[in-house]
Order: sequence, then C-alpha cells, then structure tokens
Amino acid sequence: MNLHPAARRGLFLFIPVAAFLALGSQVPHFLDPSNLLNVVRQSSITGICAVGMTFVIVIKGIDLSLAGLLAFCPMISGILMLAGIDLPASMAVGMLAGIILGLFNGLMVSKLAVPAFITTLVVGQISQGLALTMNGGSSIGGFPERFVFIGNGALGSVPLSDLLLAAFLALGFFIQRFTALGNHIYALGGNEAVLRQEGLSAARLQFFVFGFSGFCAAVSGLLLSAQLDTVHPTQGDAYQLDAIAACIIGGVDLAGGRGSVPMAVVGALVIGCLRNVLNLLGIHPFMQNVFIGSIIIVIVYLSGTIHRHSELATRGTL
Amino acid sequence: MSARDDIRANNGPGEREEPPAEASTAAQKRPAQIAYGGFLDLVGRNVAPTIFLALVVLASLFVKNFADVDNAAVILKQSAIPAIAVIGMTMVLMTGGIDLSLGYVVGLASIASGILANTWAWPAPAVLAAVLALGLGLGLCNGLITQFMRVPAFIATLGTGYVFYGIAQIVSQGSNINRLPKDFLAIGRTPMFGLPSAVFLALGVAVVFHVLISRTIFGRQLEAFGLGARAAALSGVPNARINVTVYALCAALAALSGLLFTIRVNAAQPNMGGGAFTFEVVTGAIVGGASLFGGVGSVVNSILGVLSIKIIENCINLMGVNYNLYLAVQGMIILVAIIFGNLSNRRA
Repeated sequence: MNLHPAARRGLFLFIPVAAFLALGSQVPHFLDPSNLLNVVRQSSITGICAVGMTFVIVIKGIDLSLAGLLAFCPMISGILMLAGIDLPASMAVGMLAGIILGLFNGLMVSKLAVPAFITTLVVGQISQGLALTMNGGSSIGGFPERFVFIGNGALGSVPLSDLLLAAFLALGFFIQRFTALGNHIYALGGNEAVLRQEGLSAARLQFFVFGFSGFCAAVSGLLLSAQLDTVHPTQGDAYQLDAIAACIIGGVDLAGGRGSVPMAVVGALVIGCLRNVLNLLGIHPFMQNVFIGSIIIVIVYLSGTIHRHSELATRGTL
Repeated sequence: MSARDDIRANNGPGEREEPPAEASTAAQKRPAQIAYGGFLDLVGRNVAPTIFLALVVLASLFVKNFADVDNAAVILKQSAIPAIAVIGMTMVLMTGGIDLSLGYVVGLASIASGILANTWAWPAPAVLAAVLALGLGLGLCNGLITQFMRVPAFIATLGTGYVFYGIAQIVSQGSNINRLPKDFLAIGRTPMFGLPSAVFLALGVAVVFHVLISRTIFGRQLEAFGLGARAAALSGVPNARINVTVYALCAALAALSGLLFTIRVNAAQPNMGGGAFTFEVVTGAIVGGASLFGGVGSVVNSILGVLSIKIIENCINLMGVNYNLYLAVQGMIILVAIIFGNLSNRRA
C-alpha cells in the first residue's frame, strides 16, 4: 500500500468511473443523455451537502444535523414566501438560519468540547422538531414561480441545479486549495498540535467549518424544495446518509486530515448513479438503503485498515 | 497482542479485587476536594434525581391534572418501554460508544414478533426467546463491526441502522400486522396491582442490570474499559469481549422494548421506534448523567432521566401544546444536560 498520493487519488477516481461504465453498459437507458442529466440534477442536493460535509469530516467531525436543516431552513423561507415576503429576502432568512445553527454546532464543539456527532444530532433533532411544529406537521407548497424555476429551470440545456452544484464545487475547491483557511482546516484535522504551535485558533476554524456546512445544508434544502415545489418537514431524512456516503466513497477520511471537495462531489454522483441504476432495475428504495449503509461500513473499514497499514510501514514496525 | 495476553495470564483472580478498594478511597477523597457547600454538593452529585424531583414538584404545582394517580400510572406505562432500552444505551455510552441503530432494532423486533406470533402462530414464550435472540444477533453485528473492523461506533451503528430499517421494511413489505394473539399480548398486558405487566418487566430488567453494572466484575470491567481502554487492557480487562457483549445486550434490550411496544399498540409496525426513539433514549441516558466520553453511567439515574423526559412529554400533552414541539424540547433538554455536564466536569 505504499502508493504515491497521486496514484492513490487516481485509484479512488478509477473505481467510481469503472463502476459507472460497467453499470452503464448493463442497464438499459442508463447512458441516455436525458437520464444522465437527470442523475446530476438529483445528485445536486447530495453534492452540495457533501461539499460542506467534506470540511466537517476533514476536521474529524461529522454533521448529523443535515436531516433537520434540510427541512427547517426551507420551511422558514417557504412560510415567509407564502406570507408575501419578497423572494430573495425570504431565501436569505432561510440561509441565515442554516448558518446560525451551524455556528451553534461550532460553538458546542469548540468551546464546550462536545463531540460533533452528538451536538449535530441534537441540533438536527431540534430543527426537525421546529420544522414539524411550524406548520403543524404538514407540508407547504405553491411557491412563487421564480422560486420553482431555480429547481426546475435550465440555462440552455443545463439545469440550474447542476450549475449550483458546480458553483459550490468551485467554491469548496477554491477554499480548500487556494486559501490559507483551507490549509489551516487540513492542519486542524491532520495535526492539531502543529496548528496550536503556529498560534492559530482552532475555535475560529471550527466555527467556519460548521457554519459553512450549515450554509450548504440550507442552500440544498432550498434547492430541494424548489425542485419539488413543496417543503415537507421530513424531506431531509433521505439525504443525510447519502451525503455522508458521498464523502466516504469520495475518499474523505473519518480519521480527519484527508479528503477533497471534488472527490466528495464525485462520490455524490456515484451515489446518484447507484440509486438511479437500482431504480431502473426496479429495486426498492429501502433495499437501496441497505446497500448504501453496508457500503459505508465497508469503505470506512477498508480505509482504516489501509491507514494503519501505511502508518506501520512508515514507522518501520510492519 | 502477545504482551496483553501475558499480562492477562499473570493477573490472578485475586488481583482483580484491588480496583474497587482504590475506587472507594477516591470516592472518599472527592467531597473534600470539591469546596462548595453541603447542599450544592449533594445536588451536584445527584443531578438526575434532582432534575426528576424538581420536575415532579414543578409539574404538580403548575400543570393541571398532573398530580393524579391515574396520570402517574400513565407516565409509568409510557416510561416502561424506553426505560428498558435506556439500560442498554447506558452501557454502550459507558464504553464511550453510541448505538444509533437502537430505534431501528425496535422496528425490526416489532415486525419479527408480529410475524412469529401471528403469521407463524408460535407460542408466546418462543416468540419472546426468538426476538431476544434476534436482538442479540443484531447487536453482535454492531459490536463486531465496532470492535474488530474498528469502524467508529456512531458511523457503524448509523450504517447498520439503515440496514435494519431496510430489512424491516422489506420483510413486512411496508405494512403493519394487526390483531395479535391473546397469549402473546399477555406478556405485557396482564394487569398487576393496577399496572400492566410491562412495567414490572421493566422493573425486573432494571434490577438485574443495576446489579450487573454496579455489583459485578463485569460492571467494574465495563467502567474501566470506558475510562481508558489501554489502561484497562494492561490490567487484564478483556476489552474486546466486553465491548461486543455490551452492544449485543443493548440490542437485545432494544428488541425486548420493541416487543413490548408491539404489545402496547397491538400492531407490529416496521417503522416503530426509528430515529426519534433512539433520540429519546439517548436523551434519557444523558439527562441521567451518562457521559458521552465513556466510563460514567448508572441504571437508576438513566431511568430517572427517562422518567424526567416522559414527565415533560406528559406535561406537553396535558397543556395541549402542539405535540411536535416535544422533539424540539427534547433536543433543548439534552443540550442543557450536556452543557451542564461539561461545565461541572471542567470545574472539578
């Protein structure tokens, strides 16, 4: 397993592409351009969440508040929209709610040393509860046309959802690769001691990372609602597992310090393809969850084994 | 590995007597170290009972119809099922892990008991045994994955949770099984002293596990493992066995609560339990003072934690507030419990 990092990255890219082609050749209609564009459009929700989730997992955290935020933020915006508040303002309020709840996660993790999985689980549950309470447990719909256009419209032949995914991919990639902030985030996940010796504050990075993840969740929640033209209080449940799976399939390491945004988005597309293929084959969504749950466990196991192996190898104690 | 085995071999059973003695001297020292007054000290060391008593007093004063024998019976009935599950969760939290699949085990156990009791017409004791065995098996999967595949507990159980949920949905084809046989219902519904037998079943399970955790070598070892796996291994604690056993027991208890849940609503449902139930149980354990970092937890306090959140649920019902608020309120309670727990840890 002494692979050159570039080779290892190549291997991670190779597996999804190979799987993609193998599946595509077997399943009728899978490689139709219209179906592929549809896959990307459906993957955009998972993909945008995965961009934020990548940063969180890189700093050894996890964001289990997605399921709640994906419903809560659009619920706020939706209620405001139906109350006649102007579209950009109501969407901004929804995004702000996502950022604030994300920052709250950051506060709990940085100042109170609460494990990320529990604070995000709790925040997710609170926002889910509030989403249920706000409209008495039922969904709302009938939004302005401009809002629905964001989810279903297209620029030329490319759906707006795909463009939004590309924008988040670019934003995440830019932060990660071309800013000091991105570098510090890797340092926080890889070796916190070094970060502290450099005199950098871990807390500020944690605030940023969780806030950004909350923002991504809010945007993808709004996009989902725009696609469906409804807000359902439990609409986020399906996407949390997919976003985590996307990161893990994309090689983002739960042990922290490793992982890139583009690969996580590739992971989201893999999940999208997988679900699409299983749908085309007529396999029940619950069976799909069984698959995806198992895949997560297997990949985490394999990547953990590879790391321990290469660590032992570098220490020379193999 | 070989070094560990050597140490384990050298450790005679006699030497295991030592840790309790040390622990008790540490406990004697502690009150002297914490300087604040007698009453606060008492409260600080008994957070769960204090919260419980405070809630009972406040609810009796301010909520109409709360202080009533019938209402107390309702709360006990509703607490019995999560009280069984919280015992398992407490043990898992004591290892430093978490079981996010608990609620989905409940659903799978529910549908399994429905199929066994109704479709296959098995006698009640056989159903009970089979469901417990099913729970043990599911928990064994969780335990083996966390222990031997070294997947972090929250991600392993999140994954298996989705798998269990999927299986429950597929097996049942998404539909409920209603009208269960009488002998099966009798497990949890037989009236005793004005309460259904499920409450006494929960009480029995609680006593057994309280003794197991606080009075046996297994409990000591579990605590030692949770406080520090390395130190525990060096002093001869069979970490792997403890870890796997705890997950298996947790899922078995979850399966038992799934079975009792099925009996209470007289319908086997694949989406019984679920994430909301897991969350309720985690909240109960955390309010009961179990630490997310492992090593600390008590059956009695966790059950008081469950009773506390059930009292809050009961008040929400009695006051006619939107029931969906319960989820959000639960979240806020767990946050407060975590924040207080962390602040008091920092002070100590």
